[in-house]
Amino acid sequence: MRDKILKKLASWHASHPWRMLIIVSVITVILAAFANQLTVTTRTSDLLPEGDPKVEVFNEILEEFLTATNLVVVVQGEESRIKECADRIAPLLLELKDSTHNEEYQSEVNKLQQKINQLNSRAGNDTEITNLQKKIKNLERKIDLKLFQRIDYKTPFDFLKNHALMLSKADDLENMKDMFTDANLVGLITNLNNSMEKEYVGKEESISTREEEEGAFGFLDGIENLIFTFQKAVKGENLSEEEIHLAVDKLLIGEPYFLSNDKTALVLNAVPNFSLMDRGLLMIAADEAQVLVDDLKKNFPDLSIGLTGQIARERDEQVHSEQSIGFTTIIALIAILIFLMISFRMWVAPLLAITNLIIGLIWAMGVAFLVVGQLNMMTAMLSVLFLGLGIDFSIHLISTFTEGRALGDTIPAAMERAFLKSGKGIVTGALTTACAFLTLIISQARGMREMGIVAGAGLLAILLATLLALPIMLYFREKRIDRRKEKKKTGEKFIQRDISFRFLGNVCSWLSKHYIFTIIISLIITGLLGWQALEIKWDHDYRNMEPKGLESIELMDTIMDRFDLSMEYSMVLTGSISESNELAEKYRELNTVAIAEDISLFLPTEEQQKKRIPHIKEIRRKIQSLRIRETISTDEIPRLTQEINRLQMNIMEMQDMSFLGGKDKVDNKCKRIVGDPEVPDSRNIIRDLIQLLNKNSSKTIAELSRLQRIFSPYFQESIVKMSSTDSVRMENLPSSILDRYANKTRDKFLVTIYPSGSLYDGEYVIRFSEDVNRVSEKTTGMGPLMIAMLDIFGRDGRNAVLLTLLIVFLLLWVDFKKISYALIAMIPLAFGIFWMVGLMNLTGILLSVTTVMGLPLIVGIGIDDGVHIMHRWRIEGNDKIHTVFSSTGKAVLLTSLTTMLAFGSLVFSSFPAWGLFGGALFLGVAACFLTTAIILPGIFGVIERKEKKQG
Amino acid sequence: MKKIIISVLVIIALMVPLLPGQELSGDDIIKKVNELFNVESGYAKSKMIIVTTSGSKRTFIYESWQKNKGEKNLVRYLEPRRVKGQAVLMLNNANDIWMYFPRTQRVRKLASHAKKQKMQGSDFSYEDMGSGDSFLEDFNTKRLKDEKLEGKDCYQLELTRKPDSDLSYSRLVMWIIKENFVPVVIDYYDEKDPTHLEKRLVESDIRIIDNIPTAMKIVMYNKNDNTQTVMELLEVRYNIKLDDSMFTERGLKK
Repeated sequence: MRDKILKKLASWHASHPWRMLIIVSVITVILAAFANQLTVTTRTSDLLPEGDPKVEVFNEILEEFLTATNLVVVVQGEESRIKECADRIAPLLLELKDSTHNEEYQSEVNKLQQKINQLNSRAGNDTEITNLQKKIKNLERKIDLKLFQRIDYKTPFDFLKNHALMLSKADDLENMKDMFTDANLVGLITNLNNSMEKEYVGKEESISTREEEEGAFGFLDGIENLIFTFQKAVKGENLSEEEIHLAVDKLLIGEPYFLSNDKTALVLNAVPNFSLMDRGLLMIAADEAQVLVDDLKKNFPDLSIGLTGQIARERDEQVHSEQSIGFTTIIALIAILIFLMISFRMWVAPLLAITNLIIGLIWAMGVAFLVVGQLNMMTAMLSVLFLGLGIDFSIHLISTFTEGRALGDTIPAAMERAFLKSGKGIVTGALTTACAFLTLIISQARGMREMGIVAGAGLLAILLATLLALPIMLYFREKRIDRRKEKKKTGEKFIQRDISFRFLGNVCSWLSKHYIFTIIISLIITGLLGWQALEIKWDHDYRNMEPKGLESIELMDTIMDRFDLSMEYSMVLTGSISESNELAEKYRELNTVAIAEDISLFLPTEEQQKKRIPHIKEIRRKIQSLRIRETISTDEIPRLTQEINRLQMNIMEMQDMSFLGGKDKVDNKCKRIVGDPEVPDSRNIIRDLIQLLNKNSSKTIAELSRLQRIFSPYFQESIVKMSSTDSVRMENLPSSILDRYANKTRDKFLVTIYPSGSLYDGEYVIRFSEDVNRVSEKTTGMGPLMIAMLDIFGRDGRNAVLLTLLIVFLLLWVDFKKISYALIAMIPLAFGIFWMVGLMNLTGILLSVTTVMGLPLIVGIGIDDGVHIMHRWRIEGNDKIHTVFSSTGKAVLLTSLTTMLAFGSLVFSSFPAWGLFGGALFLGVAACFLTTAIILPGIFGVIERKEKKQG
Repeated sequence: MKKIIISVLVIIALMVPLLPGQELSGDDIIKKVNELFNVESGYAKSKMIIVTTSGSKRTFIYESWQKNKGEKNLVRYLEPRRVKGQAVLMLNNANDIWMYFPRTQRVRKLASHAKKQKMQGSDFSYEDMGSGDSFLEDFNTKRLKDEKLEGKDCYQLELTRKPDSDLSYSRLVMWIIKENFVPVVIDYYDEKDPTHLEKRLVESDIRIIDNIPTAMKIVMYNKNDNTQTVMELLEVRYNIKLDDSMFTERGLKK
């Protein structure tokens, strides 16, 4: 049956070459059009199972909250300049629009409008008209679409100024009762001291958690600013009202900007107006923002401004991956072409093989688009795999065809010979390998499954291209030669060169004769490499998989260093405010979590609010009844100095406790206020203030009195404002807060969890993921997704390898009709996998998501070596090891080398993940060839000896 | 004579459970452990390494004195230079804690519940450092199946927190070397979830000092934070004479 089809195909090629050319051209054009639409997604969630709860929640968050993705602008430099730059950049980012498809959308709108008019004139269907109107609205929304809906870079200051006390915990309010009883400067400092002695030193746990440490840091920041304000006043610097008000605001509410601990970096979190699924808009938004930032750099040459966040990173990764595919594919093509020209000592055959491969690749990519739609991080690498495997089909077919022609066959006869002799092998080999790839369909992980489908279907597409396109090229080439020969009447003949590898034959023949030595050596090598394989570790450091020098990746580290948190946040979706609050509280207790944000920060429960009201009322009553003095008397200066000195001692004690407790952030902040105890000359701003106050001149008193006249009433007024007892309800919350934490229908609430460490740190990411998963299994985001992916890929890889081995075994059993032969053919592969992993460990390639994917692939690729040798050995019979290996061994070596070249080219990819994948497969193919060339001769030697003994 | 006979009988009665070949109850074993933990008085010079929030390691060397079977504790820091002279006084089994700051020459009292918190950024809490007769008073003891740990025969005990206790661990599991009653491993379970292992203490390098088996190296593994604190005893003395005045605010300042 198979012979009949192949024979028919060969004759069809010879008799209808033009028709075949047209068919192939049409197929190529159609599939090229599909291939052209193929995009690459680098999103981690696209590699995981669709049904995975983490993926479902992630996708739900993407749909419900566009806030789940972000573009982060990092501005670094001097404090006032970075704030100025942030204020400039924020409105400009909000103005960014996508107008690239305006005309298309507008014409669509016009068409729809015409349709509506027609329907109206015919008194048409109302539902249809409503639907069309909806479509128009959707399209109109896309015209001049604002790329960013919100820029978060400041706290919701106005809201906090009105409701700060209602948002404070009852315990804190209790403390505030004493702290906010006096707005006069001396009284205020005294109260601050009382509060510190009661609260901080009295409750050491106040900085024992990250949240409390942040609170202590914010409090100290307010104090630092207050001291500077005092200094400026005492020095007689003309303090504006605005500056004094700002000092009060910072003391009561905190720093409004998202500033780093050392105040030299600021982040703006730009929330897009599109989902991460919309790759086109993602690229446009990142590019537009980049242009804007580059433009702004001209006005702020003293600042460093850069982009990071998911949007910038996805853009950078996508650009790199797309460039890498093209780049590495070209390298692989050139390398294979040169290699084949050297091996065959001719240039036409390799060129035809490569041309056929290019057609095959186009077909494979077109098919990939049809079966999976878009490539993920893993399937994108397959073009190189196809190169390595697909070239083999062409080599076999061309070899037999030219061999036939050299023997004097006519074109149709040579075609038939090629199809019958090589075609069978090619089809069987391709089907076995494709079958092995297709077993990956059982994988739970989408990335793995899609890779199996794309690899299997793509390989079959290349097989088809080889059977349909290559013969046409061969036909036309031969026709041309025939015509030339006829003209010249030279009667020139092809010279069949002996290009068998005798050396390989000699070595394998020796190994077969000395089978005991061979088997012992094989076992020793396998033992050593097996031991290395068992030693191999998982690489959890994702930085090793990212392209080097990417600004978006490097800025992630900057944020980590300066802000003590990662912007690669995780998220969980909740069904109620109370659930959101409950989970957020649990996340905050985790050491691996820097900040957990949720709506309950701005929306306490009714019960909580009720409990707070009496405290707030008392604070309000006390502060309202307070009389602000217009001046500070001379007598008050010693007391003020004493209280400021007490403040210095309190901060020093806080500093010493922080040092003992290893709380570097608070310790460093204290150093900025009271100096570094280990550096005697370090600046102590409180001591400087005391020295100024000690001068006690009339000017000092006048300046302090002026400060009090502006500071104290504003302080009093602010406390009164903050102590509103109006109930905080969801409907009162500004949309900037609501949109951040609640979905559009306000029935789902987002908890955002910022990790305290870098997610590129392997050990940390495991701990973080375990921690957040303990709070809720539905926690999603980069960290948990990465870990879930590692688990699933590990399991899938193992299952796929086992199933592939089983299927391959069954196929071989059917093929060889003997279990022992099927098992022998599989021995090189089984040992080869051990050797591969052992060699990976020796060369520093660790197990990772990408390298694990190489294992099932190597089963599909590596099995061929043993099968080809086994077939030939059975055909040749005993004492023919030399022939088997110098002929078929040569083919196996050549195909292994071309495959290795293809995978090796990935090392040049700017995506290290692919380089590692290519490196692992390079070693795998080499290992399978070596086990075939070393172990099989030994086994054949044993069998032949046994058979000889048996007579 | 009668008194002597009665005394001998009482001693024999007390000794019976401890005689070789006799099975010890959980209570018997924990009493012996408690005695080891709470010698009448003692002095130690120790080294402790902590990891700061920015990830760097910080080594402290300090001296500590304890009296009344651990009811009174005084810790005074020697190194690094920055904390030299800083001291902590724990009285009433760490229910009252004071701290002295040489830089400001002031003493501050910490809140009573501070004893449950981490001590100086380490994985030990004040409670772990000076809990007196807590094993006996706060827990019910149950003997589990004996096990071998690193070649040594060990008793295994489970201590479950009594309902009226406010201790921060719901359950402890200990492995105690039969030969010397040193608890080589103690697992501390979460206050609310008795199945969640929070911390593990491992004692090693056991030496006999003043006839008392002493673990010179103690490591506390914090399973929640995935951190560990190593404490090494550099010098130990037991049953020394200590003046009560040491364990006062004035003594703290010295």
